Amino acid sequence: MTQSALSKRLLDEYAAVSDSLPTDVVSAERRQEAIQALAARGLPTTREENWRYTNLRPLERARFAPVAAAAAAAAPTVIPAGLDLPSTLTGFARFTFVDGTFAPELSSEHAQAGSTVRNLRRAPESSARRQGSTAGTRPLTAPSGCPEASLALLNEAFATDTALISVRGGTDAPQRVELVFVAVAGADVGASYPRIQVALDPDSRLILVERHVSAGSGASFVNSSVSVDIGRGAHLTHYRLQRAGARSAWLDTLTAVLAADGRYSLLTINTGGLSARSTTQVQMAGPGAELILSAAALGDRQQTQDHFALVEHIAPRARTDQTFRGIASGRARVAFNGKITVREAAAGTDSRQSLRGLLAGPAAEIDVRPQLEIYTDDVRCSHGATAGKLDDSMLFYLLSRGLSPEVAQRLLKWAFLEDVVSKIELPELRRQIEHDLAGQMADAASLKELL
Amino acid sequence: MLKIDNLHVKVDGKEILQGLTLEIPSGEVHAVMGPNGSGKSTLANVLAGRPGYEITAGSVTFQGRDLLALAPEERAREGVFLGFQYPVEIPGVNNVYLLKAAVNAARKHRGLEEVDAFEFLTLVREKMRLMRMEESMLSRGVNEGFSGGEKKRNEILQMLVLEPRLAILDETDSGLDIDALKIVANGVNTLRSPARSLVLVTHYQRLLDYIVPDHVHVLVKGRIARSGDKSLALELERRGYDWVTGEAA
Repeated sequence: MTQSALSKRLLDEYAAVSDSLPTDVVSAERRQEAIQALAARGLPTTREENWRYTNLRPLERARFAPVAAAAAAAAPTVIPAGLDLPSTLTGFARFTFVDGTFAPELSSEHAQAGSTVRNLRRAPESSARRQGSTAGTRPLTAPSGCPEASLALLNEAFATDTALISVRGGTDAPQRVELVFVAVAGADVGASYPRIQVALDPDSRLILVERHVSAGSGASFVNSSVSVDIGRGAHLTHYRLQRAGARSAWLDTLTAVLAADGRYSLLTINTGGLSARSTTQVQMAGPGAELILSAAALGDRQQTQDHFALVEHIAPRARTDQTFRGIASGRARVAFNGKITVREAAAGTDSRQSLRGLLAGPAAEIDVRPQLEIYTDDVRCSHGATAGKLDDSMLFYLLSRGLSPEVAQRLLKWAFLEDVVSKIELPELRRQIEHDLAGQMADAASLKELL
Repeated sequence: MLKIDNLHVKVDGKEILQGLTLEIPSGEVHAVMGPNGSGKSTLANVLAGRPGYEITAGSVTFQGRDLLALAPEERAREGVFLGFQYPVEIPGVNNVYLLKAAVNAARKHRGLEEVDAFEFLTLVREKMRLMRMEESMLSRGVNEGFSGGEKKRNEILQMLVLEPRLAILDETDSGLDIDALKIVANGVNTLRSPARSLVLVTHYQRLLDYIVPDHVHVLVKGRIARSGDKSLALELERRGYDWVTGEAA
């Protein structure tokens, strides 16, 4: 399909459902602006430099209208029987969204004094009380200069709900929130638009666990958008775990802004989806801000795992530490494109990038790419990028101790992810993730003893 | 136990072992000495099955079986152990996990049940005390951040836990100070038994003060140029390798 035909279909689909989209989530004006901006720009294509490794074919086939619009208006979310959600984490309030809409029956009460969590979409019966409330918060429009964030516009136009998290300062213990997004419907029914807005007041603390899963084996189309605002001296630890269904398309845009001395520890693990793409755009807006971005991706079979991360330093003395570990098996393609821009005013910037890919199949593909754009002299930027196969001497060492080649390879793949997995500070979550990863990497129970 | 007959091995097209013949009976400790480039490490690696070595002629029989026909992991499970000259660091693979996986691989091969976790840890702790290793090393990655001496001690620890029938220690003494050398030698000596054979590959005589060999062989240009008892090592130390290489030339 040509770009113009795709843009036309996008506008047509929007026009067909726009009246049914909840204005307490995103106002009609902002939806209209977003869809116009996106149609004018066009959906991304692989001809664009920072989209070349993405599988964008699902965009051509997807129905953009959300699942909720396809269902009868205001019909309650259908919870699939036998839905198997990840175990809850001790001390975390859980909020579950099914196909982009809040599902209170799958959520737990939030009773933490230092923060507010709510979803923006009001239940129909309470619509009277909604009168006069201001719709949504800040617009999620992609900042100029980051055309890669354009899919956030798609989310803004069609969003059916938003998870809104506000954290107040003044409490020492970090707030703990878990968001679970479940994709149920297939792409033929409609799209799912997970949407999160997180705001941390100065000196506040939040640990946020964000999960994306699928129910059943349907081919879903998910386009999520996350906006993060970290106030002065605030700390956010954010775990993003994507294991969408094996036939799903999962597209994602995260934008974050850090004020002075803000600290953002962002750890992402992408294992699911047939076509997965994450766009992460972080602006180091205050002096002394710190970003620790750690990403792991596993691709197998025909999967595409693509991650583009842009970190922009505009204030002095901020620090970025970026780690990527990706493994491509089967015929999978795993890509990480990490771009760091240091503006004139960002003297004293310290950035480190360690990007490594492991080729674990003869037909697999790894693309790791560090990009640096520096406009000032007073910086310390280091980067390393490697793509290779398993280390022969490590492999032989394990064989010489009697391990089978299969177990040895699995162990070394496991070890390869260690630089990311070791950064998970919650033991309970780490165990869950290790079990998930072991399950992804091996049918046999051979890794279980590790855990 | 081990019978090597007329072994010829090429590396990158160059013949390194040129008709090596050596027999090591059960219960004996043999030292293989020789100048740099004589083929000592090649011999050790070929016996363990490291890829990259082309065997052009000869045979190696281990307990009556064709050793060269076995994959490296099968050799290990049959009881062949190589102590590496340069043990590799494997961050992310836990030391104790590797030990346990190795023990269980060998047990499964012999039709035995998996080792009991508690008994296993008790055994490992005991062997670690013998090797004067900190217990915290167990939970670290294999050789990760270990000093040269710690890596060598870890090799011997693995050997003590695996209890191989044939251990080949490749330059285990290199890079060790005298205290570490004594600890390593003491560890090796506890394993000496009538049912077990040891091959010590070494450049220097020093190790043999602490692990006294039954036989000493001098390897020159890929062949055994001279064999003798432990006094041969002392004579080599006194006269230098030129004495043998000159003779062999």
